[in-house]
Amino acid sequence: MAEAPVIAIVDDDEAVRVATGSLVRSLGYTAETYSSARDFLRASAAREPACLITDVQMPGMSGVELQEALVAAGRRLPVIFVTAFPTESLRSRALAAGASGFLRKPCEGRAIIDCLERALRQRAAT
Amino acid sequence: MPVDQLSGGPVARARSAVGTWGVGRRSIRAWRAGAWGAPAAPPEPGRPGPARKDTLLGAFAVALALGIFLVDAFTPLESAVAVLYVVVILIAARGFGPLGVVLTAAICISATAAAYWLMHGLFNGDSALLRCLVSLAAIGLGTVLILQNQRAAERLAEQANLLELTHDSIFVRDRSDIVTFWNRAAEDLYGWRAEEVRGQDIHELLRTDFPVDPAAIWDELTRTGRWEGELVQTVRAGRRVTVESRWALQRDVRGEPVSVLETNTDISDRKRALEALTESERRYRTIFDTTRVSILQQDWTAVRAALDGLAGQTDLERHLADNPDFVRRMRASITIVDVNAVTLRLAGVPDRSAFMRTLDEFLPEEEQTFARSLLAFARGETFYEGETEIRRRDGSTVPVLFGITFPERPEALGCVLVFAVDITERKEAQEALLAVQAELAHALRVSTLGALTASIAHEVNQPLAAIVTNAEASLRWLARDVPDLDEARAGIARVVASGTRAGEIVARIRTFLTKAPPRPTPVRLCEIIDEAALLIEREILRHEVSLRREIEPRLPPVLGERVMLQQVVINLMVNAVQAMAETRDRPRRLVVRLGRDGASARVSVIDTGPGLTDEARARVFEPFFTTKRDGMGMGLAICRTTVEAHGGRLWAAGHAGPGTAFHFTLPLPEPEAA
Repeated sequence: MAEAPVIAIVDDDEAVRVATGSLVRSLGYTAETYSSARDFLRASAAREPACLITDVQMPGMSGVELQEALVAAGRRLPVIFVTAFPTESLRSRALAAGASGFLRKPCEGRAIIDCLERALRQRAAT
Repeated sequence: MPVDQLSGGPVARARSAVGTWGVGRRSIRAWRAGAWGAPAAPPEPGRPGPARKDTLLGAFAVALALGIFLVDAFTPLESAVAVLYVVVILIAARGFGPLGVVLTAAICISATAAAYWLMHGLFNGDSALLRCLVSLAAIGLGTVLILQNQRAAERLAEQANLLELTHDSIFVRDRSDIVTFWNRAAEDLYGWRAEEVRGQDIHELLRTDFPVDPAAIWDELTRTGRWEGELVQTVRAGRRVTVESRWALQRDVRGEPVSVLETNTDISDRKRALEALTESERRYRTIFDTTRVSILQQDWTAVRAALDGLAGQTDLERHLADNPDFVRRMRASITIVDVNAVTLRLAGVPDRSAFMRTLDEFLPEEEQTFARSLLAFARGETFYEGETEIRRRDGSTVPVLFGITFPERPEALGCVLVFAVDITERKEAQEALLAVQAELAHALRVSTLGALTASIAHEVNQPLAAIVTNAEASLRWLARDVPDLDEARAGIARVVASGTRAGEIVARIRTFLTKAPPRPTPVRLCEIIDEAALLIEREILRHEVSLRREIEPRLPPVLGERVMLQQVVINLMVNAVQAMAETRDRPRRLVVRLGRDGASARVSVIDTGPGLTDEARARVFEPFFTTKRDGMGMGLAICRTTVEAHGGRLWAAGHAGPGTAFHFTLPLPEPEAA
């Protein structure tokens, strides 16, 4: 059996981060959690995750800025946004930059799972 | 006075004749005085003065009388020598009054009779007696004539004196313009004395400018006997004066023109004043016609009369407020006398004759400042200014800034000047500014509310998201082929923790909102309502809602946190406006009422929307309850906690018919003990 894909999770709220990690692991993936965008950028260089699930509003660098930084660095991993305060401008900005999903908190686990699986399929196809 | 008595000769002779030798009223010094209007000059050294001449003349008369008597009484000369006594009486008449003349005549008659008696004895009926009788008759007749002449001369002199009293300069000149009479006023005006101008060509001396050809003047003078006109002349000091000149022609007995009486009145000052006035009028007219300010001349005479009729009214302001009919009548009583071109353009009237006749036609129906200008006028103020609207011919209105000048003299009330400036552009700029301000305020309001809701959303949604995700994950751990109970248990434990946390967050927000206002200050609710109305003006306009404010003005301020109370009012008003979004079958009307409710101030916000169901009314203040599609359900909950934090109450009332009424009360400060 191939090694399970690594899903990176970035959220400044510990409860949400842990919960999302648990959900991802229950699906059989490997979860790597980071409390900030900068931690993720520093740590993930060694092994590229299969997908990134990130909050939008975070202290320091926001989720959207993180995505832009990845694009700028030529890293093409799929990004799924989950936010407690979705606005249309944020949403279009994220999707324009190539986001795989833009979800609203609280969202059903099913929605995260569908989005995640779709992102992974797309990635495998390329 | 007949003109023909005024030629120089007779007047001069008459004057010469009225002097006396100290007999009667006149002194000898006056003997030669007055013929030329001037008092007698002191005698020059070496020349005999008038008094000395008079004495010589008197002595001569006495010697003559004595000579006549001696010849008459002691020579056999057969002639009526005594007739020569008439010469004595004539000389006496130059110095004596009537009594003196009569006395002299009596002495002469006595002397004549005595000489006859000495020579011929009594009643010697010969030719000598006849000669004596002829002499006596001649003396008597001469005396009567002399007395008559003296009286006429005196009358003439009195009349000539009158000429001296007048302030008009009067002179008489003959056909060659040579002066023969020159009164004192002429001396004053022209600066030459009578004796200096005597014999001079007067119009050459005065360098007179005639308004028309002198020949034409002479034509008119000979045709009608009179001429009137304005002359410009030069006085001795070199100053040019303008005189109003009246000429009258004197003819001799044959009807031939002999002299002209010229009466001149100095009108230089009047002329200058008139020119200044004309210039002032011209300047006024220039301003009137060329200024960009609209000027109206109005007649307020009738207003003065009407206000005088109200003299008993102590409170005119109240009277005007209670009697709109009176104010209306006043408007109609003010006539518009004149307007300038700017005013015509302003009012859209083609020409002056077509302009509004009264102020009533010129002002819109509901004009507010007129009553105040009436008050200012009644109080005797001389100026009143304000901002109002005027009515154009086509019925549209124009905003103007105006000033009224009330003249101080009541007789000038026919000329009340009103200045007005069209402030449409300024008004538009002002409105644009207000719109921008309202927009800014709106943006601010949205961001305040938005920030609050965003913060609440984030704070509460985080634990909710964690709960949902943990529960989902736990289910999946349990649903595995080999259920991972440890993971599931851990997940469920996190659900509990996040749930607890969510509750804590809600409690924290409540605590934040229910905290007593940090800086309670006096807040005027009427101002809060006005500001709220301004802030949500756009929503009101967008939903085509009519707003009505019913404010009790004399309510004291409440104590509280201004911004929080404003949020409450805004929230209730926005809710009301949005509640009427779907209302189509009745007017969308928002009423905000401020009044007293016991010891509290009460604000009511009433709409004509669909109203609340009983269930909705019961739950409307619960957090997260909303009837709006995209509502958060926090607004009314926050409002209630805010109002309660201020010691007041907020509730939704049943409302007769459709519509909803929200009321809140806030305690009024206790009136201070006297």
